[in-house]
Amino acid sequence: MITLKNVCKNYGPIQAVANVSFSIPKGEIVGFVGPNGAGKSTTMKIITTYTAPSSGTVTVGGFDVVENALEVRELIGYLPETTPLYADMLVHEYLEFVGRARHLNGAFKSRFDWVVEAAGLGTVLRRKIGELSKGFRQRTCLAQALIHDPAVLILDEPTSGLDPLQIIGIRKLIKELAHEKTIILSTHILSEAAAVSDRILMIHNGRIAADGKFEDLVRRVSDQNSVYIAVRAPKKDFDSSVRSMDLKDIIYDEALPRGVVGAHLFSEAKVDLTGKLNELIREKKWDIFNFTPEQMSLEDTFIRLTSGDKNSQGGDA
Amino acid sequence: MNDVKVIFKREFDAYFYSPIAYVFSIIFIVLNTGLYMFHFFFFGNADMRAFFSTLPLVLGMIFIPAITMRLWSEEKKLGTVELLLTLPIRTEHIVLGKYLASLVFYLVALAGTLTIPLMLLFLGRPDFGPIAGGYFGAILLGAFFLALGIFISAFFSDQIISLIITSLVCGFFVLIGWRYVPMVIDGWIPGLGSFLYHYVGVSRHFNDIERGVVDLRSVVYFLSFTALFLFLNAKVLERRKF
Repeated sequence: MITLKNVCKNYGPIQAVANVSFSIPKGEIVGFVGPNGAGKSTTMKIITTYTAPSSGTVTVGGFDVVENALEVRELIGYLPETTPLYADMLVHEYLEFVGRARHLNGAFKSRFDWVVEAAGLGTVLRRKIGELSKGFRQRTCLAQALIHDPAVLILDEPTSGLDPLQIIGIRKLIKELAHEKTIILSTHILSEAAAVSDRILMIHNGRIAADGKFEDLVRRVSDQNSVYIAVRAPKKDFDSSVRSMDLKDIIYDEALPRGVVGAHLFSEAKVDLTGKLNELIREKKWDIFNFTPEQMSLEDTFIRLTSGDKNSQGGDA
Repeated sequence: MNDVKVIFKREFDAYFYSPIAYVFSIIFIVLNTGLYMFHFFFFGNADMRAFFSTLPLVLGMIFIPAITMRLWSEEKKLGTVELLLTLPIRTEHIVLGKYLASLVFYLVALAGTLTIPLMLLFLGRPDFGPIAGGYFGAILLGAFFLALGIFISAFFSDQIISLIITSLVCGFFVLIGWRYVPMVIDGWIPGLGSFLYHYVGVSRHFNDIERGVVDLRSVVYFLSFTALFLFLNAKVLERRKF
Protein backbone atom coordinates (compact mmCIF):
# COMPACT_ATOMS: atom_id res chain seq x y z
CA MET A 1 0.00 0.00 0.00
CA ILE A 2 2.81 2.37 0.92
CA THR A 3 6.25 2.07 -0.63
CA LEU A 4 9.31 4.24 -0.03
CA LYS A 5 12.40 3.82 -2.17
CA ASN A 6 15.68 5.49 -1.23
CA VAL A 7 13.91 8.54 0.14
CA CYS A 8 16.02 11.49 1.28
CA LYS A 9 14.91 14.84 2.59
CA ASN A 10 17.26 17.72 3.22
CA TYR A 11 16.48 20.94 4.98
CA GLY A 12 19.41 23.01 3.85
CA PRO A 13 22.51 21.26 5.15
CA ILE A 14 20.51 19.08 7.55
CA GLN A 15 19.49 15.67 6.33
CA ALA A 16 16.22 14.86 8.06
CA VAL A 17 15.60 11.61 6.21
CA ALA A 18 18.53 9.65 4.80
CA ASN A 19 17.96 6.96 2.21
CA VAL A 20 14.94 5.34 3.76
CA SER A 21 13.27 2.40 2.03
CA PHE A 22 10.43 0.25 3.27
CA SER A 23 7.05 -0.95 2.16
CA ILE A 24 3.87 -1.48 4.11
CA PRO A 25 1.26 -3.98 2.88
CA LYS A 26 -2.45 -3.25 3.08
CA GLY A 27 -4.04 -3.64 6.49
CA GLU A 28 -0.84 -3.47 8.51
CA ILE A 29 -0.37 -1.23 11.56
CA VAL A 30 3.14 0.15 11.69
CA GLY A 31 4.59 2.07 14.61
CA PHE A 32 7.28 4.65 13.90
CA VAL A 33 9.44 4.85 16.98
CA GLY A 34 12.40 7.06 17.61
CA PRO A 35 13.68 9.94 19.66
CA ASN A 36 12.45 13.47 18.96
CA GLY A 37 13.96 14.84 15.78
CA ALA A 38 14.65 11.39 14.37
CA GLY A 39 12.76 11.98 11.14
CA LYS A 40 9.42 10.35 11.99
CA SER A 41 7.33 13.43 11.27
CA THR A 42 9.27 14.32 8.16
CA THR A 43 8.73 10.84 6.76
CA MET A 44 5.01 11.19 7.47
CA LYS A 45 4.89 14.60 5.84
CA ILE A 46 6.43 13.11 2.73
CA ILE A 47 3.92 10.25 2.63
CA THR A 48 1.01 12.69 3.06
CA THR A 49 2.33 14.85 0.17
CA TYR A 50 2.83 17.86 2.44
CA THR A 51 6.56 17.90 1.78
CA ALA A 52 8.20 16.61 -1.36
CA PRO A 53 11.17 14.27 -0.93
CA SER A 54 14.55 15.66 -2.03
CA SER A 55 15.19 12.38 -3.82
CA GLY A 56 13.71 8.92 -4.04
CA THR A 57 10.16 7.82 -4.78
CA VAL A 58 7.14 7.32 -2.59
CA THR A 59 3.92 5.67 -3.71
CA VAL A 60 0.66 5.28 -1.84
CA GLY A 61 -1.89 2.88 -3.28
CA GLY A 62 0.12 2.89 -6.51
CA PHE A 63 0.07 6.69 -6.85
CA ASP A 64 3.25 8.74 -6.72
CA VAL A 65 3.16 11.42 -4.01
CA VAL A 66 4.67 14.06 -6.28
CA GLU A 67 3.05 13.24 -9.62
CA ASN A 68 -0.40 12.19 -8.38
CA ALA A 69 -0.61 14.16 -5.15
CA LEU A 70 -4.38 14.65 -5.35
CA GLU A 71 -5.12 10.92 -5.67
CA VAL A 72 -2.81 10.20 -2.74
CA ARG A 73 -4.53 12.84 -0.62
CA GLU A 74 -7.90 11.23 -1.31
CA LEU A 75 -6.61 7.98 0.16
CA ILE A 76 -5.03 9.40 3.28
CA GLY A 77 -6.39 10.58 6.59
CA TYR A 78 -3.74 12.57 8.40
CA LEU A 79 -3.39 13.67 11.99
CA PRO A 80 -0.40 16.02 12.11
CA GLU A 81 1.62 16.43 15.27
CA THR A 82 0.59 20.08 15.61
CA THR A 83 -3.17 19.32 15.68
CA PRO A 84 -4.10 21.91 13.06
CA LEU A 85 -7.40 23.44 14.12
CA TYR A 86 -9.08 26.75 13.42
CA ALA A 87 -9.48 28.11 16.94
CA ASP A 88 -12.41 30.36 16.03
CA MET A 89 -14.56 27.63 14.51
CA LEU A 90 -17.06 25.44 16.33
CA VAL A 91 -16.27 21.74 16.36
CA HIS A 92 -19.13 20.82 14.04
CA GLU A 93 -18.32 23.69 11.66
CA TYR A 94 -14.76 22.45 11.44
CA LEU A 95 -15.83 18.89 10.66
CA GLU A 96 -18.35 20.14 8.11
CA PHE A 97 -15.63 22.16 6.42
CA VAL A 98 -13.31 19.16 6.20
CA GLY A 99 -16.21 16.99 5.02
CA ARG A 100 -17.00 19.38 2.19
CA ALA A 101 -13.36 19.79 1.26
CA ARG A 102 -13.12 16.00 1.13
CA HIS A 103 -16.11 15.87 -1.24
CA LEU A 104 -18.29 13.75 1.03
CA ASN A 105 -21.59 15.32 -0.08
CA GLY A 106 -24.38 12.78 0.53
CA ALA A 107 -22.29 10.46 2.67
CA PHE A 108 -21.44 13.25 5.08
CA LYS A 109 -24.25 12.81 7.58
CA SER A 110 -23.55 9.15 8.34
CA ARG A 111 -19.79 9.67 8.40
CA PHE A 112 -20.20 12.68 10.67
CA ASP A 113 -22.31 10.73 13.15
CA TRP A 114 -19.89 7.82 13.12
CA VAL A 115 -16.84 10.00 13.65
CA VAL A 116 -18.43 12.01 16.45
CA GLU A 117 -19.30 8.76 18.19
CA ALA A 118 -15.87 7.18 17.59
CA ALA A 119 -13.92 10.21 18.77
CA GLY A 120 -16.30 10.94 21.63
CA LEU A 121 -17.10 14.49 20.56
CA GLY A 122 -20.85 14.43 21.22
CA THR A 123 -20.69 16.84 24.15
CA VAL A 124 -18.52 19.51 22.51
CA LEU A 125 -20.01 19.82 19.01
CA ARG A 126 -21.24 23.37 19.66
CA ARG A 127 -18.12 24.53 21.49
CA LYS A 128 -15.45 26.80 20.09
CA ILE A 129 -12.32 24.81 19.26
CA GLY A 130 -10.07 27.38 20.92
CA GLU A 131 -11.81 26.76 24.24
CA LEU A 132 -11.38 22.97 24.19
CA SER A 133 -8.96 21.03 26.36
CA LYS A 134 -5.92 19.42 24.78
CA GLY A 135 -7.60 16.02 24.79
CA PHE A 136 -10.67 17.24 22.93
CA ARG A 137 -8.55 19.16 20.44
CA GLN A 138 -6.59 16.01 19.74
CA ARG A 139 -9.83 14.06 19.24
CA THR A 140 -11.37 16.74 17.02
CA CYS A 141 -8.31 16.48 14.86
CA LEU A 142 -8.50 12.71 14.84
CA ALA A 143 -12.15 12.98 13.76
CA GLN A 144 -11.00 15.16 10.88
CA ALA A 145 -8.57 12.43 9.80
CA LEU A 146 -11.26 9.74 9.90
CA ILE A 147 -14.22 11.55 8.41
CA HIS A 148 -13.75 10.37 4.84
CA ASP A 149 -13.14 6.74 5.81
CA PRO A 150 -9.60 6.75 4.38
CA ALA A 151 -7.79 3.62 3.29
CA VAL A 152 -4.57 4.88 4.85
CA LEU A 153 -4.28 6.58 8.22
CA ILE A 154 -1.20 8.55 9.17
CA LEU A 155 -1.23 9.48 12.84
CA ASP A 156 1.61 11.61 14.20
CA GLU A 157 1.72 11.16 17.96
CA PRO A 158 -1.99 10.36 18.25
CA THR A 159 -2.04 9.97 22.02
CA SER A 160 0.05 12.94 23.10
CA GLY A 161 -1.79 15.09 25.59
CA LEU A 162 -4.45 12.51 26.37
CA ASP A 163 -5.18 11.03 29.79
CA PRO A 164 -4.69 7.28 30.33
CA LEU A 165 -8.36 6.48 29.81
CA GLN A 166 -8.45 8.38 26.52
CA ILE A 167 -5.20 6.70 25.44
CA ILE A 168 -6.82 3.31 25.93
CA GLY A 169 -9.82 4.55 23.95
CA ILE A 170 -7.67 5.70 21.04
CA ARG A 171 -5.71 2.45 21.03
CA LYS A 172 -8.95 0.50 20.97
CA LEU A 173 -10.19 2.62 18.09
CA ILE A 174 -6.96 2.06 16.16
CA LYS A 175 -7.25 -1.70 16.67
CA GLU A 176 -10.86 -1.64 15.48
CA LEU A 177 -9.87 0.20 12.34
CA ALA A 178 -6.95 -2.12 11.78
CA HIS A 179 -8.82 -4.73 9.78
CA GLU A 180 -9.64 -2.57 6.80
CA LYS A 181 -7.05 0.21 6.96
CA THR A 182 -3.33 0.61 6.64
CA ILE A 183 -2.13 2.63 9.61
CA ILE A 184 1.13 4.36 10.43
CA LEU A 185 1.44 5.92 13.84
CA SER A 186 4.42 7.56 15.42
CA THR A 187 5.31 7.74 19.05
CA HIS A 188 8.33 8.02 21.24
CA ILE A 189 6.71 5.77 23.83
CA LEU A 190 7.82 2.26 22.94
CA SER A 191 5.21 0.46 24.99
CA GLU A 192 2.54 2.24 23.00
CA ALA A 193 3.98 1.14 19.68
CA ALA A 194 4.33 -2.38 21.05
CA ALA A 195 0.71 -2.36 22.21
CA VAL A 196 -0.97 -1.48 18.91
CA SER A 197 1.43 -2.13 16.04
CA ASP A 198 1.98 -5.27 14.01
CA ARG A 199 5.38 -4.01 13.13
CA ILE A 200 7.83 -1.46 14.45
CA LEU A 201 10.07 0.79 12.42
CA MET A 202 12.68 2.32 14.61
CA ILE A 203 13.99 5.56 13.15
CA HIS A 204 17.12 7.24 14.32
CA ASN A 205 19.02 10.12 12.74
CA GLY A 206 16.86 9.88 9.63
CA ARG A 207 17.68 6.21 9.09
CA ILE A 208 15.83 3.04 9.86
CA ALA A 209 17.59 1.54 12.83
CA ALA A 210 15.39 -1.53 13.05
CA ASP A 211 12.37 -3.01 11.36
CA GLY A 212 10.28 -5.93 12.53
CA LYS A 213 7.90 -7.32 15.11
CA PHE A 214 8.50 -6.04 18.60
CA GLU A 215 9.38 -9.50 19.95
CA ASP A 216 11.90 -10.04 17.15
CA LEU A 217 13.53 -6.71 17.85
CA VAL A 218 13.84 -7.56 21.50
CA ARG A 219 15.28 -10.97 20.67
CA ARG A 220 17.75 -9.42 18.28
CA VAL A 221 19.29 -7.21 20.93
CA SER A 222 18.96 -9.38 23.99
CA ASP A 223 21.97 -11.57 24.58
CA GLN A 224 20.80 -13.03 27.88
CA ASN A 225 17.97 -14.91 29.49
CA SER A 226 16.60 -13.70 32.75
CA VAL A 227 14.16 -15.29 35.17
CA TYR A 228 12.84 -14.19 38.52
CA ILE A 229 12.11 -17.14 40.76
CA ALA A 230 10.91 -17.42 44.34
CA VAL A 231 10.47 -20.79 46.07
CA ARG A 232 9.99 -22.13 49.59
CA ALA A 233 13.40 -23.69 50.15
CA PRO A 234 16.44 -23.50 52.38
CA LYS A 235 18.64 -20.74 51.06
CA LYS A 236 21.86 -22.77 51.13
CA ASP A 237 20.31 -25.63 49.21
CA PHE A 238 18.82 -23.25 46.66
CA ASP A 239 22.08 -21.38 46.21
CA SER A 240 24.21 -24.44 45.59
CA SER A 241 21.69 -25.99 43.18
CA VAL A 242 21.25 -22.85 41.17
CA ARG A 243 24.94 -22.04 40.93
CA SER A 244 25.57 -25.35 39.19
CA MET A 245 23.54 -24.13 36.17
CA ASP A 246 26.25 -21.95 34.60
CA LEU A 247 24.63 -18.63 35.39
CA LYS A 248 26.17 -15.33 34.52
CA ASP A 249 24.78 -13.57 37.52
CA ILE A 250 22.43 -13.98 40.44
CA ILE A 251 20.79 -11.24 42.44
CA TYR A 252 18.92 -12.28 45.60
CA ASP A 253 15.64 -10.69 46.47
CA GLU A 254 15.76 -9.87 50.20
CA ALA A 255 12.20 -8.61 50.59
CA LEU A 256 10.50 -11.98 50.99
CA PRO A 257 8.84 -13.79 53.91
CA ARG A 258 10.94 -16.08 56.09
CA GLY A 259 11.53 -19.47 54.55
CA VAL A 260 11.08 -18.21 51.00
CA VAL A 261 14.08 -17.59 48.83
CA GLY A 262 13.92 -15.52 45.64
CA ALA A 263 16.42 -14.34 43.07
CA HIS A 264 16.88 -12.85 39.61
CA LEU A 265 18.89 -15.33 37.59
CA PHE A 266 20.78 -14.38 34.44
CA SER A 267 22.35 -16.68 31.87
CA GLU A 268 23.60 -16.66 28.31
CA ALA A 269 20.87 -16.50 25.66
CA LYS A 270 21.56 -20.05 24.48
CA VAL A 271 21.03 -21.55 27.93
CA ASP A 272 17.51 -22.91 28.46
CA LEU A 273 17.10 -21.39 31.89
CA THR A 274 13.40 -22.07 32.19
CA GLY A 275 13.77 -25.75 31.38
CA LYS A 276 16.62 -26.26 33.83
CA LEU A 277 14.76 -24.54 36.63
CA ASN A 278 11.71 -26.67 35.97
CA GLU A 279 13.80 -29.83 36.30
CA LEU A 280 15.35 -28.59 39.49
CA ILE A 281 12.03 -27.73 41.10
CA ARG A 282 10.45 -31.01 40.12
CA GLU A 283 13.41 -32.89 41.55
CA LYS A 284 13.49 -30.93 44.82
CA LYS A 285 9.69 -30.69 45.16
CA TRP A 286 9.88 -27.00 46.15
CA ASP A 287 6.74 -24.87 46.32
CA ILE A 288 6.80 -22.12 43.79
CA PHE A 289 5.90 -18.61 44.97
CA ASN A 290 6.77 -16.77 41.81
CA PHE A 291 8.21 -17.60 38.43
CA THR A 292 8.58 -14.81 35.89
CA PRO A 293 10.67 -14.88 32.72
CA GLU A 294 12.02 -11.33 32.53
CA GLN A 295 12.11 -9.54 29.21
CA MET A 296 14.53 -6.85 28.44
CA SER A 297 12.86 -3.56 29.19
CA LEU A 298 11.53 -1.56 26.29
CA GLU A 299 13.74 1.35 26.95
CA ASP A 300 16.81 -0.86 27.07
CA THR A 301 15.87 -2.28 23.67
CA PHE A 302 15.41 1.19 22.34
CA ILE A 303 18.75 2.43 23.53
CA ARG A 304 20.52 -0.70 22.23
CA LEU A 305 18.94 -0.34 18.80
CA THR A 306 19.56 3.35 18.40
CA SER A 307 23.10 3.42 19.74
CA GLY A 308 25.64 0.72 18.77
CA ASP A 309 26.59 0.63 15.08
CA LYS A 310 26.44 -3.16 15.15
CA ASN A 311 22.67 -3.12 15.41
CA SER A 312 21.91 -0.21 13.15
CA GLN A 313 22.45 -2.50 10.18
CA GLY A 314 19.59 -4.67 11.40
CA GLY A 315 17.01 -2.75 9.40
CA ASP A 316 18.16 -4.28 6.15
CA ALA A 317 17.26 -7.78 7.24
CA MET B 1 -15.06 25.18 -8.88
CA ASN B 2 -16.88 23.57 -5.99
CA ASP B 3 -13.56 23.35 -4.15
CA VAL B 4 -13.01 27.06 -4.60
CA LYS B 5 -16.42 27.65 -3.08
CA VAL B 6 -15.64 25.52 -0.02
CA ILE B 7 -12.43 27.44 0.66
CA PHE B 8 -14.08 30.75 -0.12
CA LYS B 9 -16.87 30.15 2.37
CA ARG B 10 -14.52 29.24 5.20
CA GLU B 11 -12.24 32.19 4.55
CA PHE B 12 -15.05 34.68 4.21
CA ASP B 13 -16.70 33.44 7.40
CA ALA B 14 -13.33 33.56 9.13
CA TYR B 15 -13.24 37.34 8.69
CA PHE B 16 -16.38 37.58 10.79
CA TYR B 17 -15.41 35.11 13.53
CA SER B 18 -13.53 37.89 15.27
CA PRO B 19 -14.44 41.57 15.62
CA ILE B 20 -11.56 42.46 13.27
CA ALA B 21 -13.82 42.52 10.20
CA TYR B 22 -16.23 44.99 11.76
CA VAL B 23 -13.48 47.18 13.18
CA PHE B 24 -11.72 47.11 9.87
CA SER B 25 -14.75 48.06 7.79
CA ILE B 26 -15.70 50.90 10.11
CA ILE B 27 -12.21 52.38 10.15
CA PHE B 28 -11.93 52.01 6.40
CA ILE B 29 -15.19 53.83 5.75
CA VAL B 30 -14.77 56.49 8.44
CA LEU B 31 -11.19 57.29 7.47
CA ASN B 32 -11.83 57.45 3.75
CA THR B 33 -15.05 59.43 3.91
CA GLY B 34 -13.62 61.55 6.73
CA LEU B 35 -10.53 62.49 4.72
CA TYR B 36 -12.79 63.25 1.81
CA MET B 37 -15.29 65.35 3.76
CA PHE B 38 -12.47 67.49 5.08
CA HIS B 39 -11.54 68.30 1.52
CA PHE B 40 -15.18 68.58 0.45
CA PHE B 41 -16.06 71.27 2.97
CA PHE B 42 -12.91 73.17 2.10
CA PHE B 43 -13.35 73.32 -1.66
CA GLY B 44 -17.01 72.45 -2.11
CA ASN B 45 -16.53 70.59 -5.42
CA ALA B 46 -19.14 67.97 -6.33
CA ASP B 47 -16.56 65.43 -7.46
CA MET B 48 -14.55 62.64 -5.82
CA ARG B 49 -11.04 63.53 -6.99
CA ALA B 50 -9.82 64.00 -3.42
CA PHE B 51 -11.19 60.61 -2.43
CA PHE B 52 -9.55 58.72 -5.27
CA SER B 53 -6.23 60.54 -5.15
CA THR B 54 -5.55 59.43 -1.57
CA LEU B 55 -6.98 55.95 -2.13
CA PRO B 56 -3.91 54.10 -3.56
CA LEU B 57 -1.64 55.01 -0.66
CA VAL B 58 -4.26 54.46 2.05
CA LEU B 59 -5.32 51.19 0.46
CA GLY B 60 -1.86 49.85 -0.30
CA MET B 61 -0.13 50.80 2.90
CA ILE B 62 -2.84 50.15 5.48
CA PHE B 63 -6.00 48.40 4.43
CA ILE B 64 -4.96 45.77 1.92
CA PRO B 65 -2.10 44.48 4.10
CA ALA B 66 -4.55 44.26 7.01
CA ILE B 67 -6.94 42.15 4.94
CA THR B 68 -4.33 39.81 3.48
CA MET B 69 -1.87 39.39 6.36
CA ARG B 70 -3.76 36.54 8.00
CA LEU B 71 -4.56 34.55 4.87
CA TRP B 72 -1.45 32.36 4.90
CA SER B 73 0.49 33.60 7.92
CA GLU B 74 -2.24 32.53 10.31
CA GLU B 75 -2.47 29.09 8.70
CA LYS B 76 1.26 28.68 9.07
CA LYS B 77 1.26 29.76 12.68
CA LEU B 78 -1.63 27.44 13.62
CA GLY B 79 -0.22 24.59 11.53
CA THR B 80 -3.51 24.38 9.62
CA VAL B 81 -1.57 24.87 6.41
CA GLU B 82 -0.62 21.22 6.83
CA LEU B 83 -4.28 20.25 6.87
CA LEU B 84 -5.18 22.56 4.02
CA LEU B 85 -2.42 21.40 1.70
CA THR B 86 -3.09 17.72 2.30
CA LEU B 87 -6.77 18.04 1.38
CA PRO B 88 -7.62 16.65 -2.04
CA ILE B 89 -7.92 20.16 -3.47
CA ARG B 90 -5.61 21.70 -6.02
CA THR B 91 -3.34 24.38 -4.59
CA GLU B 92 -4.50 26.89 -7.21
CA HIS B 93 -8.08 26.41 -6.07
CA ILE B 94 -7.16 27.03 -2.46
CA VAL B 95 -5.32 30.21 -3.44
CA LEU B 96 -8.24 31.31 -5.58
CA GLY B 97 -10.78 30.61 -2.82
CA LYS B 98 -8.81 32.62 -0.31
CA TYR B 99 -8.27 35.41 -2.79
CA LEU B 100 -11.94 35.69 -3.71
CA ALA B 101 -12.89 35.78 -0.02
CA SER B 102 -10.57 38.73 0.53
CA LEU B 103 -11.78 40.40 -2.66
CA VAL B 104 -15.45 40.15 -1.71
CA PHE B 105 -14.66 41.41 1.78
CA TYR B 106 -12.85 44.38 0.25
CA LEU B 107 -15.74 45.07 -2.13
CA VAL B 108 -18.18 45.12 0.78
CA ALA B 109 -16.02 47.67 2.59
CA LEU B 110 -15.65 49.70 -0.59
CA ALA B 111 -19.41 49.64 -1.10
CA GLY B 112 -19.67 51.35 2.28
CA THR B 113 -18.14 54.49 0.76
CA LEU B 114 -20.95 54.75 -1.81
CA THR B 115 -22.57 57.18 0.64
CA ILE B 116 -20.33 59.88 -0.87
CA PRO B 117 -21.69 59.79 -4.45
CA LEU B 118 -25.18 59.49 -2.95
CA MET B 119 -24.59 62.64 -0.94
CA LEU B 120 -23.16 64.42 -3.97
CA LEU B 121 -26.28 63.53 -5.91
CA PHE B 122 -28.41 65.44 -3.41
CA LEU B 123 -26.07 68.39 -2.94
CA GLY B 124 -25.00 69.09 -6.50
CA ARG B 125 -24.80 67.78 -10.01
CA PRO B 126 -21.72 65.54 -10.04
CA ASP B 127 -20.25 64.11 -13.24
CA PHE B 128 -20.78 60.39 -12.80
CA GLY B 129 -18.21 59.40 -15.45
CA PRO B 130 -15.13 60.00 -13.32
CA ILE B 131 -16.87 58.63 -10.23
CA ALA B 132 -17.77 55.36 -11.95
CA GLY B 133 -14.24 55.27 -13.39
CA GLY B 134 -12.84 55.87 -9.93
CA TYR B 135 -14.74 52.98 -8.44
CA PHE B 136 -13.77 50.76 -11.35
CA GLY B 137 -10.13 51.72 -10.77
CA ALA B 138 -10.49 51.11 -7.04
CA ILE B 139 -11.75 47.60 -7.74
CA LEU B 140 -8.86 46.84 -10.11
CA LEU B 141 -6.33 48.37 -7.72
CA GLY B 142 -7.73 46.39 -4.81
CA ALA B 143 -7.68 43.19 -6.86
CA PHE B 144 -4.00 43.71 -7.66
CA PHE B 145 -2.89 44.64 -4.13
CA LEU B 146 -4.85 41.78 -2.59
CA ALA B 147 -3.12 39.27 -4.88
CA LEU B 148 0.20 40.79 -3.93
CA GLY B 149 -0.65 40.71 -0.23
CA ILE B 150 -1.69 37.06 -0.21
CA PHE B 151 1.46 36.17 -2.09
CA ILE B 152 3.63 37.91 0.53
CA SER B 153 1.63 36.37 3.36
CA ALA B 154 2.68 32.91 2.15
CA PHE B 155 6.28 33.59 3.11
CA PHE B 156 5.83 34.50 6.78
CA SER B 157 4.25 32.82 9.75
CA ASP B 158 3.99 36.12 11.59
CA GLN B 159 1.05 38.29 10.60
CA ILE B 160 2.73 41.53 11.62
CA ILE B 161 5.72 40.82 9.40
CA SER B 162 3.36 40.07 6.51
CA LEU B 163 1.53 43.32 7.16
CA ILE B 164 4.70 45.40 7.17
CA ILE B 165 6.27 43.79 4.12
CA THR B 166 3.02 44.02 2.14
CA SER B 167 2.67 47.64 3.17
CA LEU B 168 6.20 48.41 1.98
CA VAL B 169 5.82 46.60 -1.34
CA CYS B 170 2.44 48.19 -2.08
CA GLY B 171 3.93 51.54 -1.09
CA PHE B 172 6.72 50.95 -3.57
CA PHE B 173 4.22 50.24 -6.36
CA VAL B 174 2.37 53.46 -5.56
CA LEU B 175 5.40 55.72 -5.11
CA ILE B 176 7.11 54.48 -8.26
CA GLY B 177 4.11 55.80 -10.16
CA TRP B 178 4.57 59.33 -8.83
CA ARG B 179 6.60 61.56 -11.04
CA TYR B 180 9.34 62.57 -8.61
CA VAL B 181 10.43 59.18 -7.39
CA PRO B 182 11.30 57.74 -10.83
CA MET B 183 13.09 60.97 -11.68
CA VAL B 184 15.40 60.48 -8.72
CA ILE B 185 16.00 56.84 -9.70
CA ASP B 186 16.72 57.95 -13.27
CA GLY B 187 19.41 60.17 -11.78
CA TRP B 188 21.15 57.10 -10.36
CA ILE B 189 20.57 54.57 -13.11
CA PRO B 190 19.37 56.27 -16.29
CA GLY B 191 16.31 54.57 -17.77
CA LEU B 192 15.42 52.46 -14.76
CA GLY B 193 13.19 55.10 -13.19
CA SER B 194 11.13 55.73 -16.31
CA PHE B 195 10.91 52.00 -17.01
CA LEU B 196 9.48 51.44 -13.54
CA TYR B 197 7.21 54.45 -13.91
CA HIS B 198 5.72 53.24 -17.16
CA TYR B 199 5.50 49.50 -16.62
CA VAL B 200 5.46 48.84 -12.88
CA GLY B 201 4.05 51.89 -11.09
CA VAL B 202 0.41 51.81 -10.12
CA SER B 203 -0.48 55.50 -9.95
CA ARG B 204 -0.27 56.33 -13.63
CA HIS B 205 -2.69 53.55 -14.59
CA PHE B 206 -4.97 54.26 -11.69
CA ASN B 207 -5.07 57.98 -12.38
CA ASP B 208 -6.04 57.35 -16.02
CA ILE B 209 -8.98 55.17 -15.06
CA GLU B 210 -9.96 57.46 -12.21
CA ARG B 211 -10.17 60.38 -14.64
CA GLY B 212 -12.69 58.33 -16.59
CA VAL B 213 -10.22 57.33 -19.30
CA VAL B 214 -10.47 53.55 -19.30
CA ASP B 215 -7.46 52.54 -21.34
CA LEU B 216 -7.34 48.83 -22.15
CA ARG B 217 -3.61 48.82 -21.42
CA SER B 218 -4.27 49.94 -17.85
CA VAL B 219 -6.89 47.25 -17.35
CA VAL B 220 -4.45 44.68 -18.73
CA TYR B 221 -1.78 46.04 -16.39
CA PHE B 222 -3.90 45.44 -13.29
CA LEU B 223 -5.28 42.09 -14.38
CA SER B 224 -1.93 40.68 -15.46
CA PHE B 225 -0.23 41.64 -12.19
CA THR B 226 -3.13 40.11 -10.27
CA ALA B 227 -2.88 36.87 -12.23
CA LEU B 228 0.91 36.82 -11.92
CA PHE B 229 0.92 37.03 -8.14
CA LEU B 230 -1.86 34.46 -7.75
CA PHE B 231 0.06 32.11 -10.00
CA LEU B 232 3.30 32.67 -8.09
CA ASN B 233 1.47 32.12 -4.84
CA ALA B 234 0.33 28.64 -5.89
CA LYS B 235 3.84 27.85 -7.17
CA VAL B 236 5.48 28.96 -3.93
CA LEU B 237 3.14 26.79 -1.88
CA GLU B 238 3.71 23.79 -4.10
CA ARG B 239 7.41 23.93 -3.50
CA ARG B 240 6.67 23.52 0.22
CA LYS B 241 9.99 24.60 1.52
CA PHE B 242 8.61 25.66 4.86
